[in-house]
Amino acid sequence: MKKILYFVIACIFLLAHGVLAQYSSAYAEANTSVTSGDQKPAQQREMESSVAVQPKSEGVSTTGHQQTEAREAVSEEEQIAENDVVTIADPIKPWNTAMYHVNDKFYFWLLKPASQGYSTVVPEDIRLSVSNFFKNLTTPIRFVSSLLQLKVKKAGNELVRFVYNSTAGIGGLADVAKTDLDIKRHEEDLGQTFGHYGIGHGFYIVWPILGPSSLRDTVGMVGDWFLDPVYYVNPLEASLGISAYDRVNETSFYIGDYEDLKKAAIDPYVSIRDAYTQNRKKKVEE
Amino acid sequence: MKKSLSSFILVLFLSLPLSSFAGAPLDSVKGNVDKVLDVLRDPALKGESGKKTKKAKIRTISDKMFDYNELSRRTLGQNWTKLNAEQQKEFTELYKSILEDAYVDKIVTYTDEKILYNKENPLTEKTVEVQTTIVTKKADIPIFYRVIQKGPEWRVYDVVIEGVSLINNYRTQFREILTNKTPEALLETLRKKVGKA
Repeated sequence: MKKILYFVIACIFLLAHGVLAQYSSAYAEANTSVTSGDQKPAQQREMESSVAVQPKSEGVSTTGHQQTEAREAVSEEEQIAENDVVTIADPIKPWNTAMYHVNDKFYFWLLKPASQGYSTVVPEDIRLSVSNFFKNLTTPIRFVSSLLQLKVKKAGNELVRFVYNSTAGIGGLADVAKTDLDIKRHEEDLGQTFGHYGIGHGFYIVWPILGPSSLRDTVGMVGDWFLDPVYYVNPLEASLGISAYDRVNETSFYIGDYEDLKKAAIDPYVSIRDAYTQNRKKKVEE
Repeated sequence: MKKSLSSFILVLFLSLPLSSFAGAPLDSVKGNVDKVLDVLRDPALKGESGKKTKKAKIRTISDKMFDYNELSRRTLGQNWTKLNAEQQKEFTELYKSILEDAYVDKIVTYTDEKILYNKENPLTEKTVEVQTTIVTKKADIPIFYRVIQKGPEWRVYDVVIEGVSLINNYRTQFREILTNKTPEALLETLRKKVGKA
């Protein structure tokens, strides 16, 4: 009970943060200007992009001639693409880098061998059913998050999916809502819900075993646990065991993806951080 | 009468610029992806030696499909001008090698996934986003190709998978390097990466 209370307090704090961000432009600016490479305030960056759109307009103040030269060389479209970039603050980088290495070892030494062994023994169709079963169980996360964002239709779809898959899909083993009714699962969680209301990431956090997250998404993730039936399984060992099994089963579909990402990256840590940020942005917008 | 009408239509069509034909960007992407799929499904190319031929063929297609110069410029963004002409050329070559090494290997492992071509989403006057979905048993993966018009052709300058833009992802990495180091140091890092691969 106490834990739920703490969580509610954290939510209120985050929401207050979001409301403040919306009403105080100075506050919002302080938040958006924290970027890794580009230290210019948001307003200034906007101004610069308008310079690029009208390159011939005179008397526009710029920040140093070096950048002015650079901007003349890049086209308007490139400028637009540049503004498209999303960044995340990373003030605890030493911790994050250390945890990135921990997770790297965790994957290669434990998760990957376990998933590989598992997938050689268990056929794909069964692993798909297991995945469907766990996804069906986490319906409350998506339902509540959709409702909180006033996405009533999506919430309704989740409800229909849950009822139909739990019955016709034999306890959620088959995703018949997708195949028969053409109602697809739509990823929603509390972190996305905070994002929907304008709350920023805060900063980047890499958790051991759990992986990349942010201040906002961590609070969301903890809230999601309370909406996940597996959390309420007693004793704790059983609950963790079920979660671990879910993780191994899920990973069995993606063996090799992490290796490919590492191979393609110049700096895997930065690549993952950026991929996380871009992917979360897209999910919030959907 | 009929003849004059048809010649009128012919003239009308000829006078239209190529770009006004809706669907050209999508057709271009689809054409190239289909070529890749043909190579992957070629029954004559089996085993290890077949794999090598497949990779070589895919590289040839990717040279035409992608505009690596555009891709490189956009990846570096404002940092592009920090490189001199020679460095820019070398950067483009190295970056291309890295991308091909990473993705051709991956593509060769694909088997029978279905691809849906959903729609075109105009970004600017000259750029369009072609939205596709790869349907696998496990999940639907949205893959968007961003193409730019170069003469009569549409060429890919960015690929966005699950909301993650390829050039934005690399830009963040390169920017971090160029904040502390010289362009020459960046090139050296890339040379090592390519040599290693």
